[in-house]
Amino acid sequence: MPRQVLEDTLTADSIAADSALAASGDATAFERLYRTHVARVHTLVRRMLDADEADDVTQDVFIRAWQKLSTFRGESAFGTWLHRLAVNVVLARRKSVGIERGRFINEEEPLRGVTSKPVTPELSMDFEEALASLPEGARQVFVLHDVEGYRHEEIARMLGVVPGTSKSQLHHARMALRRHLDR
Amino acid sequence: MNDQWTNRLSEYIDGELDSTERASLEAHLATCGQCFATLGELRQVVLRAKSLDDAPPATDLWIEIAREIRREHAPARRDRLVRRRFSLTVGQLMAASIALVLLSGGGAWLALQSRQSTEPTPVGESTQRPRVGQLVTWTGHTDAAIADLQTALTQNERRLDTATVRIVRMNLAIIDRAIADARIALQKDPGNAYLNLHLANTMRRKVELLRRVNDMAAARS
Repeated sequence: MPRQVLEDTLTADSIAADSALAASGDATAFERLYRTHVARVHTLVRRMLDADEADDVTQDVFIRAWQKLSTFRGESAFGTWLHRLAVNVVLARRKSVGIERGRFINEEEPLRGVTSKPVTPELSMDFEEALASLPEGARQVFVLHDVEGYRHEEIARMLGVVPGTSKSQLHHARMALRRHLDR
Repeated sequence: MNDQWTNRLSEYIDGELDSTERASLEAHLATCGQCFATLGELRQVVLRAKSLDDAPPATDLWIEIAREIRREHAPARRDRLVRRRFSLTVGQLMAASIALVLLSGGGAWLALQSRQSTEPTPVGESTQRPRVGQLVTWTGHTDAAIADLQTALTQNERRLDTATVRIVRMNLAIIDRAIADARIALQKDPGNAYLNLHLANTMRRKVELLRRVNDMAAARS
C-alpha cells in the first residue's frame, strides 16, 4: 500500500474513532478533532464574516458540533459534516444580525475599494484582503463557490436567492478580485 | 469591452453556457482582445481561490470551548449511540469500530449479565458456548502473533515519519483499550459468545494494523 494512502487511511480511521468517542462524551477525543479541524473552520468563518467575529463564531461552531455529534451518522467524513455545520452557523449568524438580505440582493452595490487597479505594489491589497473587502453577498458566494466548491443551486438554497443571483454575484466578485491577483 | 459577453465569461469558465451560447462567445473572443484578456484574468482568480491556505486562529479557542462543553451531559448521547448506524469503510474499522466496541461492549455485556440473572437459560445453549480452555488456546496463538509483529514494529518504527508513528500508536492504544476491556469482561463471564466474538475481532484488527504498518516500513527500507 502506498505510504500516503496508508497515512490518509490511518488519519481517517483516527478521526472516525475520535468522532465516535466524542459522541459518547469523550472531551479529549473532541479536542483532537478540534485541533485537526480548527484552521479550516476558522478560515471559512473569517472569509464569510468579518474577521473580528471569526473567533466567536468558530467557538460556536465547535460547541454546536459537540451538541450535535449524536446526529453525525458516519455516512460522510467528519470534516465534511463539520464544514457543513460551520456554513450553517455562519448563515444563521448572518440572519441573526439582520444584515444579509438588503445587502445581498443589491447587485448594484459598489464593490467597495476593490475595483480600482492598485497603483503600486506597496499600495496593493493581497488577495485575502481584497476578498475581505468585497460586499458581503459577493464575498459569500465567491467563498462558497470558488473556494469551498458548492454549486450555484446549493448556494442559492442556502442564501435564499435564485441561482441567477448567485451567478451574478460570483461574476462581480471575480471581476473585482482579478485586479488583486498576487504579483 | 462588450458587456453582453463580459458578463457571461464566468458562466463560460464554469461550463454553464449551452452549446449555442458557448459558440457565440468563442466567436466573440476570437475578435475581442479585451474580453480574451479578461477571461484569462478570471481563470487566474478561480485558480487562486483553489490555492488559498487555511490559517489557525491567533489564539487558542479550545479553553473557552472546553469550558462550555463541560456543561454538557453525556448519558443521553450514549443511549443514542447504541442505536446509531455508522457507515464506516473497511479501513476505518481498525480504529472507528474499536471505539464503538469500547462503548457498546461493556454496555452489552452488562445487559447480557442482567438478562442472564433474570431469564432461564435455553436448553442446549450451554453446549454452544466457548469453553474457557478454547479461549485460552486461540488468544494464546494470537497473542504470540501480536508479540512478534510488535517486536518487528519496534525495529521498523524508525523508518516511519513521526506523524505516522503517532497515528499508529494512537490507533494501537485504542485497540489495546478495547482488548483489555474485553478480557476483563471475559474473566467474569468466560463463556459469553458476544464478548468472545468482540475480543477475536479486536485482536484480528490489531494483527492487521501491525502487519500493514510493518509492510509499509519494510517498503521504505
